[in-house]
Amino acid sequence: MNPTIDLFMQNAPRVGAHAIFAENREQLASTLLNILADEESVYFPCISDLEKTLAAGCPRRVNDYFGATATVEEATAAIAETGTIVSTSAKGRPVQATLLPAHHVALVSRTNVFQTVDDFFASCMDPLPANITLITGPSRTADIELTLTVGVHGPKRVDIIVF
Amino acid sequence: MSTLRDRMDFRQNAADAVKDASLRRTMRTATDVFATMRTRGLNSLPIDTWRDEASAIRQTILDDLLAYLDQFTAAATKAGAVVHRARDAESARETIFHILKDRGVRKIVKSKSMVTEEIELNPYLEHRGMSVVETDLGEYIVQLAGEPPSHILAPALHMNRKQVGRLFAEKLGVEYSEDPEVLTRIARDVLRKEFLAADAGISGANLAVAETGSLVIFTNEGNGRMVTTLPKLHVAVFTIEKLIPSLRELPTFIRLLPRSATGQPLSSYMSVVTGTRKAEETCGAQELHIVLLDNGRTGILAGEYREILKCIRCSACINVCPVYRVIGGHAYGSTYPGPMGIVLTNLLEGIDKSHPLLDASTLCGACVDVCPVRVPLTDLIRRLRERRVTEGLTPMAERAEMAAFGLVAGSPALFDFAQRVSRLSWPLLEMLSGPGTLERLPRPVKDTFRRRMS
Repeated sequence: MNPTIDLFMQNAPRVGAHAIFAENREQLASTLLNILADEESVYFPCISDLEKTLAAGCPRRVNDYFGATATVEEATAAIAETGTIVSTSAKGRPVQATLLPAHHVALVSRTNVFQTVDDFFASCMDPLPANITLITGPSRTADIELTLTVGVHGPKRVDIIVF
Repeated sequence: MSTLRDRMDFRQNAADAVKDASLRRTMRTATDVFATMRTRGLNSLPIDTWRDEASAIRQTILDDLLAYLDQFTAAATKAGAVVHRARDAESARETIFHILKDRGVRKIVKSKSMVTEEIELNPYLEHRGMSVVETDLGEYIVQLAGEPPSHILAPALHMNRKQVGRLFAEKLGVEYSEDPEVLTRIARDVLRKEFLAADAGISGANLAVAETGSLVIFTNEGNGRMVTTLPKLHVAVFTIEKLIPSLRELPTFIRLLPRSATGQPLSSYMSVVTGTRKAEETCGAQELHIVLLDNGRTGILAGEYREILKCIRCSACINVCPVYRVIGGHAYGSTYPGPMGIVLTNLLEGIDKSHPLLDASTLCGACVDVCPVRVPLTDLIRRLRERRVTEGLTPMAERAEMAAFGLVAGSPALFDFAQRVSRLSWPLLEMLSGPGTLERLPRPVKDTFRRRMS
């Protein structure tokens, strides 16, 4: 594994996300089905070819993210320095789909893992999409006696598969 | 629970807060946690280099603010936003109200914004028949309680879990619980409905990018993402000094802001919002209005306290302040508490209406040690204290005492005489003032330093 991906795999769990490395497409598909085993309804944006292929093999698939229990999205990028994944509105992606369901599964190609936040922003092209969101772990709050609670407005569980 | 306080009564407010054992316990735990998280988060990182960079970037903006504002306005407009300028709180409130009213808005969701507290936006909109729901959990709690926030980042910091449990039971009609997990779940369900029903979202911005016209919003809960993506209409309001030149400078603030605030390497969510939804997009507001608020900033920029405008509202200075840690935020009676709040309140609201807050600092410098953009907070407070004296705002008795001391200290003969008088009259003073009063003062001696040296 190259050092950038290695760093990402170390940092993602530190911020509360589960990161798994898939050697190939078969492993990616089987890992995904395992992760989704307990989900009642799964939303795929079906924008990339990968999303379309995986959606076809997924039982309990729904077309609306508002009521879904999980969203599976191919993330635009990942950032090793902070264990972050990136959702953007480019190509018609609904960024809120990675926010509303309680479980977010992000798929990241190993070629899209950046070392630092500087590297990522240097790659952003003009014109910018309406929304670029850096996601670092699950939704969290500590507003009651600074007690950490996850899943306040967004996902309680974030899984990342690097392939 | 505390209510709205008058900052001119700061001494009394502070004395009351010190007597509130429950508040002191809550504050001690909370500020200790914050300080520990920050120390841990910054461990073995080149923090001082980052602070130099961040300070220089903010200074660049202040040195050429008008040009950067024009650049931001042009870029945001090109990206589809409508940019409004508001001179003061009243014009900001009116501008926002008319944007909402013209589009028939009834229900508004808000993500946490201190500037909307500064301009008292919620009561203004509510009096005109609109429903405004705060969606940050802490802000939602204080809104339900009818209180102002007591901390710029954790608005309900002063409340313990039992108080929150009782509040939810009373206001939301749910079963009493003091488990933060259960209470958070209740708020999630209530607020999810509000998000989906809202006609408009109102947010602030942590930073704004001049080159691209983007807004940058950090949240941990995800409410900022909801507010800026779910409703068709998004109104963002922030003050003019929040700019950074370009996205190239953003990483410095990504590294410093969350770490200074909570010790996190990055908040759970950071969104860069650039204009409205484009033709092929399915996300983002269809209409974005940006209200750039001055409210006294241009005046501050022109004066000797301009460095306070570098502040990025991380709250590190508040969390380490020994005064804040004891009395909490409400005793200040101002929108912004702690060291940055002392300075900003005196500049925004006038020293004549805020100067008692200048005493809410020991000048220990802990705030200066942690500030990510190197605002010289203690220098600014000391200079404001000097101004308080030159403007004659200190009490008459204090001024008379200082004048008398100046006279005596300026004359060796008088000083010598005064030392003798104080030594001889000490037993009498002790008797008159009662036990304990003079204990903290050094006892006058016969063989004084001056006499030994002469």
